[in-house]
Amino acid sequence: MSICNIRRTAVVVFLFALAAALSAQETTLDPSSSLKIDLPPDAPLNLISTTMGDSRATSRGGTVVLDLHMGLTLRNSGSRHIRGVTLLITAQEFAPGGKGSVARPSIDVPPGENFTLPIDIRLVRPVRETAGPLVRVQLDGVLFDDLSFYGPNKLNSQRALTFWEVEAQRDRAYFRQSLRARGEKGLQQEILASLAKQADRPQLDVSLTRNGRIVGSTVPATDHVAQFAFLNLPGAPVQPLEGWAAISGNEARSPQIEIVNNSGKPVRYVEIGWLVKDKQGREYLAGSVPAPESTMVLPPGHRTRLQQDTALKFSRAGRPIEIDGMTAYVSQVEFADGRVWVPSRRDLDSSPLLRVTAPSPEEQRLADIYSKKGIAALVSELNRY
Amino acid sequence: MDHPLENDLALLAGGEAGRIRRFLLDRHVRTCAVCRETVAEYRELRSELSEPGLPDLNWNFLAAEMRANIRLGLEAGACVRSTQVFRRWNPRLGIAFAGLTLLVGSGFFLRDVRPLRYLPTAAASEAATTVLRSTGSAVEIRTGARSLALLNHHGNAVNQTVSAQGDIGTRYIDSETGSVIINNVYLQY
Repeated sequence: MSICNIRRTAVVVFLFALAAALSAQETTLDPSSSLKIDLPPDAPLNLISTTMGDSRATSRGGTVVLDLHMGLTLRNSGSRHIRGVTLLITAQEFAPGGKGSVARPSIDVPPGENFTLPIDIRLVRPVRETAGPLVRVQLDGVLFDDLSFYGPNKLNSQRALTFWEVEAQRDRAYFRQSLRARGEKGLQQEILASLAKQADRPQLDVSLTRNGRIVGSTVPATDHVAQFAFLNLPGAPVQPLEGWAAISGNEARSPQIEIVNNSGKPVRYVEIGWLVKDKQGREYLAGSVPAPESTMVLPPGHRTRLQQDTALKFSRAGRPIEIDGMTAYVSQVEFADGRVWVPSRRDLDSSPLLRVTAPSPEEQRLADIYSKKGIAALVSELNRY
Repeated sequence: MDHPLENDLALLAGGEAGRIRRFLLDRHVRTCAVCRETVAEYRELRSELSEPGLPDLNWNFLAAEMRANIRLGLEAGACVRSTQVFRRWNPRLGIAFAGLTLLVGSGFFLRDVRPLRYLPTAAASEAATTVLRSTGSAVEIRTGARSLALLNHHGNAVNQTVSAQGDIGTRYIDSETGSVIINNVYLQY
């Protein structure tokens, strides 16, 4: 190759690389124009400010990447203490395929006070569909200290916030009782046990898809149908009778569980906690099997079947978890009158299997206060309300 | 009377005709004076060509000139080799490789803009499937190249909830406020 040819090749390669680098660099867009925040005019919340932090909307080739790191400062403009808030996040890209929510439970915000809600979103979508804001933030619900609720409730936020609040009341009462009965030392022991349990809790990575099969249809030859074993909690108003799911390696599909209402009140929502065991005998909390969204009213003594047409794949540290067994227990019940039941602390301590269940949001928050600020701060927090 | 071709007579004169052909030609030449004379002329011409006289040249001068040309060729070849070695380390080539490295590096860093560490590796048909995933840092819904993820940007201590109905939630403590934040992403029909 002559010197002239080498020079020409070098120039061409350099210009090509430069063009590639220029086309790939982040073209900064205005993130605020990509976002729309909607609060109803009669909402008990006012939007005080929005910080965008290091949010950015960038264009890379044919893709728009929207990184939103926002902090919304909201004010309680109502007359009651706020115990929880849920915001609905919708991206036009995914309508109607998917949506998200950001919730802040376990709070106590008096009227007139401000609080913040961080929202961190990453949206990736083709650049060609850019009409209108990419992300819309709406209020889905606010729960007050008397368990009354405000909001459109599109995500059933009322139920979720109510369950979290009832669990919070249970756990605050439990830790306050420990403090009263055994002093700071006793409280410290309880909270250390909680921290140890959280640290020991094995967690799974889960991917979830729609099954694509009719529930109850014939399963492939590679699958086998595994039955659930049940943990019957003494105070549960609903009892699981039998259930199964199609298992194939690390995938579980189409769980179905038959339940009976043993209480004297009609039930409109039930959620079954789902534990899986791997080949080595380790237990994990896999998820939950809830009642369908459609209105369910289960009269006392009646049976019904909870079934979901989804497929869940479990892995841990990138390795698939082979499912060797399944256990289920009743984790949440909502009665037709809106009251809810959650397992008591005694129920949760009744079986070593339940050690893998997640702590409530409030227990997690109290343990974090102890870890960062010590026992005095925890006692002060427990005495606050 | 038929005479053989002159080519055959020339081959006979040079002793290069085949055995049978030579027998037939010899028999004809013995009886044909014309052909015998032709063969004789070819033999005389051949004997003259086999003993050419050397030209009157100065052979020593010619040999010296040839040696000089050979040396000149070797030196020229050495010059060409040294130039090629120099070109291998030409900075222009370095620039070219730097450009190529930049191109490959850009491709590597821009090959994926998703927040999660794993990618869908399934076939194209699976790429169109909407998948909801969780990791320690985010919960994400993805359909092909499109994705929506809620990140646990401000904290850790993540707890996860998975509903077979089609939603995954991650719960973390916000490091700035100490509050519990629960991100949920829903897979819908």
